Amino acid sequence: MADLLQVEIATPERLVASASADSAQIPGKEGYMGILPGHAALLSELGDGELSFTLSGATERFKVSGGYVEIRDNRVRVLADKVT
Amino acid sequence: MPSLIDIRRRVRSVRNTQQITKAMKMISAAKLRKAQDRALASRPYAAMLDRILANVAEAASRSGGAEHPLLAIRAEQRVLAIVVTADKGLAGGFNSNLLKLAQRFLNEHRAKELSLEVIGRKARDYFRRRAYTVSGEHLDLFRNVRYEDAERIAETVIERFSNGQVDSVYLFVNEFKSVVAPNPVGVRILPIEVPKSSSPADYIYEEPPEEMLGNLLPRYVKMRIYRALLESAAAELAARMTAMDAATSNASDMIDKLTLYMNRVRQASITREIIEIVSGAAALD
Repeated sequence: MADLLQVEIATPERLVASASADSAQIPGKEGYMGILPGHAALLSELGDGELSFTLSGATERFKVSGGYVEIRDNRVRVLADKVT
Repeated sequence: MPSLIDIRRRVRSVRNTQQITKAMKMISAAKLRKAQDRALASRPYAAMLDRILANVAEAASRSGGAEHPLLAIRAEQRVLAIVVTADKGLAGGFNSNLLKLAQRFLNEHRAKELSLEVIGRKARDYFRRRAYTVSGEHLDLFRNVRYEDAERIAETVIERFSNGQVDSVYLFVNEFKSVVAPNPVGVRILPIEVPKSSSPADYIYEEPPEEMLGNLLPRYVKMRIYRALLESAAAELAARMTAMDAATSNASDMIDKLTLYMNRVRQASITREIIEIVSGAAALD
């Protein structure tokens, strides 16, 4: 089993979530991206949609709109304008 | 010599004042914790934004497209200063030190065309009494600092900068360095000085970096202003707490001194009465 992803979701006002995951789906500006551990470094703008990540079967979901995502060394950092 | 009743009245009034300052100190302390938490909560986003911006700017300049209206350095003819103070006083030198700093800056740039954006009632009152162009007032933001407020202020500032109404923008604010003393600073926020990337990496860019840069820069300015508001809110409460603590202990000293004086006066009057009685009795003999 490879490493886990470390997912962090932050808005200007607070850190919304910080958790480990073995996969994540992120709404990019140009469509959804599925992220697995070992993903190459990536920077993208965030679109509107549902962001979810899964850790051993349990899925957490957030509605996000606008912002950025940075993926690097198995860390997924999401800067969202709004999270609900 | 003041009468006993007068002194007793003064002691009572000082004691009442002390109760108020003590309450204000405790309220400030409780609010300070909350304000500090909020300032801390915005830190992850700010740190991530810095890093992303640094990387994107680097990538954009590599592909030769790091030109953006918010990065344009022009000759400084028209200068906008954003001055952030509190809405209320009774916070030691919190407001006056910041205004002094801003005033010094304005004096240095006297030759240029100056305009001001004031945040907080104290700054507004100060500049209203002097002949400065105040382009915007923002009051009552600190009870509950919201990102939207910072966004709104940032948007007007960004607009004025990008359509050339001002050539640079400076921000004057009390930083929250420690609980003991606020730290007034003045920094240039526009044109933006892009932070240097500490750990550059080869990212895959989903969108062209130049395009991302265009969206990132306004966000960066908003975040700068938002953080300034949060810091100022926390620093204000810390300053008030310190000032009220000093006031409370000054009141204690004063009560002690007055009580001592009161006892002396009382003793003197007792002594005088005894003398009167004794000499009265001696006269009868």
